[in-house]
Amino acid sequence: MHTVIDSSDGDLARAVAARGPGESGAAESELYRRFAPRVRLYGLRHLRDEDAALDLVQQVMLMTIEKLRGGLVRDVDQIASFVLGVSRSMVKDQKRLDWRREKLREAFMVPDTVVAPAGDMMLDADRLERCLARLAERDRMVVLLTFYAERTAGDVARELGSTEGNVRVIRHRAVDRLRACMTSAEVGQ
Amino acid sequence: MMQRCQTPIADAILLDYWARDLPDGSDLDRVEEHLFACGDCTARLDGIAALGTGLAALVRQGRVSGIVSRAMLNRMQRDGVHVRMYSLAPGETVPCAVFPGDDLIVAALRADFSSVDAVALSVTGSEGSPFRQYDNVPIPGPNDELFWATPAAVVREMPSMRLQLTLSSTGAAQEELGRYVLEHSAP
Repeated sequence: MHTVIDSSDGDLARAVAARGPGESGAAESELYRRFAPRVRLYGLRHLRDEDAALDLVQQVMLMTIEKLRGGLVRDVDQIASFVLGVSRSMVKDQKRLDWRREKLREAFMVPDTVVAPAGDMMLDADRLERCLARLAERDRMVVLLTFYAERTAGDVARELGSTEGNVRVIRHRAVDRLRACMTSAEVGQ
Repeated sequence: MMQRCQTPIADAILLDYWARDLPDGSDLDRVEEHLFACGDCTARLDGIAALGTGLAALVRQGRVSGIVSRAMLNRMQRDGVHVRMYSLAPGETVPCAVFPGDDLIVAALRADFSSVDAVALSVTGSEGSPFRQYDNVPIPGPNDELFWATPAAVVREMPSMRLQLTLSSTGAAQEELGRYVLEHSAP
């Protein structure tokens, strides 16, 4: 039996577009289930904020479904490109808004409050701490500068007196080691 | 029909993408177009993102051991990590302790790093018993301090003890750059 789970992205978009509001619940749900993680990651990559990324998911998916229902998506087979386009446009708007907020903050010296992102502890933190401690110093510094300090390979290279290419190699190798360690029985609970 | 990805993006490219090392332009556009059309590669990117989020969370809790850069320390303090720092010149003995509210204990070791690219830090306990060893630690740019960090939670479990720290350059010369002593008092 053919279900929405077996449908292509284009078929799902077509099903949403062909029916009125509320008549294509299963297709809308599957479209959301499929695209929400992609939009969230896009938001996280560009905004570096879990809450902002989750807000982006809501806004992008709402607009996508509305446009589909209104017959305003020209090529439903290219729905992925459409969702990416909406995401890009909304992130650009968000960045512009953040820039204005930052300028206001600088002008009026509103103190910063630091709140840890909601999704912080998705991995086993104790195990990750042990795995991180197993890395060589240089590798550990590179991954922390990348993921915590959000430095590019060029920035890290300047900070550690290395080359951009070398930092990329170290980073890739260190991430591989961390992932292997996170699933290794040897490290234990 | 949902199918497995036939043209998966290489892990190295996904990592570059996440670390903002793909320049704006065709490569970045191509990766994002692919990710929005591909659940498999999205899931792999999610694995990298989760690892990054987990690492950042550890640092924000002060759960980081080893050598950290000045820029990292500044950022941690800005993020609310409570850092207690002890500054040591070569030959100096400094009493140290951990206090309630501390997240991270840092020893700032001063030395002349002008002619070295990398160093080794050896930490020994009473009667020379090995405590920690860090090899091939890069020395970033013009710098006169090396920061050795230990989570406060770890230090709280340590008995009172004398720690001897020895910094030496790596490579053929292996010249000693400084010896320092921390007199740790257990809480």
